[in-house]
Amino acid sequence: MGANMGPLKDQTVANRASVHRGVSGGLFDPIFRNASFIAALLVLVLLAGIMISMIVGGWPAFREMGFGFLTSSVWDTQNDKYGAWPAIVGTLSTAVIALVIGLPLSLGIAVYLTQLAPPWLKQPVATTIELLAAVPSIIYGMWGLFVFVPLFATYVQQPVSRIVEGMPVVGTIFYAASPSGLGILSAGFILAFMIIPFIASITRDMLEQIPSVLRESAYGIGATTWEVVRYVLVPQAGISIIGAVMLGLGRALGETMAVTFVVGNANRLSASIMDPGSTIASRIANEFNEAIGLQLNALIALGCILFFVTFVVLVIARLLVARVKRY
Amino acid sequence: MLATLEPGLQTHNSAASVRIAVKGLDFYYNEHKALKNINLDFRDRHVTALIGPSGCGKSTLLRIFNRIYSLYPEQRATGEVLLDGQNIIGNGIDINELRSRIGMVFQKPTPFPMSIYDNVAFGIRLYEKPAKSELDDRVEAALRRSALWDEVKDKLKMSGMGLSGGQQQRLCIARTIAQKPEVILFDEPTSALDPISTGKIEDLLEQLKSEFTIVIVTHNMQQAARISAYTAFMYLGEVIEFDTTNNIFLNPGKKQTQDYVTGRFG
Repeated sequence: MGANMGPLKDQTVANRASVHRGVSGGLFDPIFRNASFIAALLVLVLLAGIMISMIVGGWPAFREMGFGFLTSSVWDTQNDKYGAWPAIVGTLSTAVIALVIGLPLSLGIAVYLTQLAPPWLKQPVATTIELLAAVPSIIYGMWGLFVFVPLFATYVQQPVSRIVEGMPVVGTIFYAASPSGLGILSAGFILAFMIIPFIASITRDMLEQIPSVLRESAYGIGATTWEVVRYVLVPQAGISIIGAVMLGLGRALGETMAVTFVVGNANRLSASIMDPGSTIASRIANEFNEAIGLQLNALIALGCILFFVTFVVLVIARLLVARVKRY
Repeated sequence: MLATLEPGLQTHNSAASVRIAVKGLDFYYNEHKALKNINLDFRDRHVTALIGPSGCGKSTLLRIFNRIYSLYPEQRATGEVLLDGQNIIGNGIDINELRSRIGMVFQKPTPFPMSIYDNVAFGIRLYEKPAKSELDDRVEAALRRSALWDEVKDKLKMSGMGLSGGQQQRLCIARTIAQKPEVILFDEPTSALDPISTGKIEDLLEQLKSEFTIVIVTHNMQQAARISAYTAFMYLGEVIEFDTTNNIFLNPGKKQTQDYVTGRFG
């Protein structure tokens, strides 16, 4: 209030304020504050609750099998002996294969859409990418099982197995003992198809946000499109691309339905990525229904491990981002 | 007003050969004709300033010389732009090679996401494969010429993004001159900078003109008067008047030019 305003005027203003807002202002604010506090608290409680129940549920398996639970390849429901190793390896290898296949394709899509595509093609392709991201995973799984897997068996697994049979190293990694089309590599492919829309559309957004003057100045000193993209645009969007990749990795690690369809669900570990295997998520999905006793505990313990692995991925992502920022 | 302009510091040698000759140049954004029948000569190792109100087409003209407009399919130019007698807007031009001969410095500093050293070495590496020691020498020479060496010599491995705006712009100039271009285009190079940084860039231009043919677009008429030997005044896509900077500012031939340089319109 200005100093020149009389006491009468101040009084009027104060009266009007109390008439309009009554006592509700004084009461509503604390209610609102507490309600939003509770909402925020709920997230922490939820996370803690999940973690505690996973650890409590999985504890008997860890206690029974000890450290061997992580390294053992046995999954014997008759004798109640369980080991997580094949599922851990399956989870990591399918996710890595998905990234190896999916990342270059995603970058290619994003670069083409932002730098090279004629205007009439840009929108249709961009929209298709967004639609692909919205396809439910069960659809990918069904399509994978009924369409992709038979084709993969006939045109990839069988010829490749014939070629590499007996070769050292390559013959071990790419030989399919029973070329059914199901396996770790098939799951990797399906996962790649699933994460491509995510990585591609985020990367595209990031490349689009780079000011055009930076792009022009890179072209302006005589760089080719490849050099502009490779040395200027992609590094410029680097942090965000890593974020997109980690998002894709997170999805690939935890993806259940589509993987369960095509991974083959074998409980043993094979050195060949053409052979059937299983991931943590597919193992849990397959056995949860009938699991009792220690088997149930073992499945929950698997869940704990998946939780931990995803957590580690997130931490690594954060560290990578921090490193890039410092540079 | 006129007292502060004080051109005449810039001597010009009318016997200097023509480096870029623009003949009957038209330019279109889609159907919109942005430049109309431009005819201009840019003399070797002189500074030529392009001035005029916003939207007059001076930046558009500048962007033709190194074919930046070719990145955008809706933009096209007709006529002739002769660089040492060769029509650079014709077919059969190696655009990337052309851009290494005609460097450009933009309105905003555009350091690349790499170290200071690599920023300067980037352009050299595109077209040459010098030995490490020679590359080092050329990077150092370019940074010295752009008056940045003393400020960055101890942190060449650090990111170019970490420099101040003025330093970034001098880094961009270093990157451009390291390529040893024949012509350097400056598109309002100081419009995003503070007065001290602007002063440094202007001093730099003063030194560079002994070696390079320079074309500069500027909104700042004192700047044009201070640093250029020739000035073209443009308006609505046409060159209204082209003469020595002295004449443009002190003895303009057209009333429009006089009105603009004395600040009566623009």
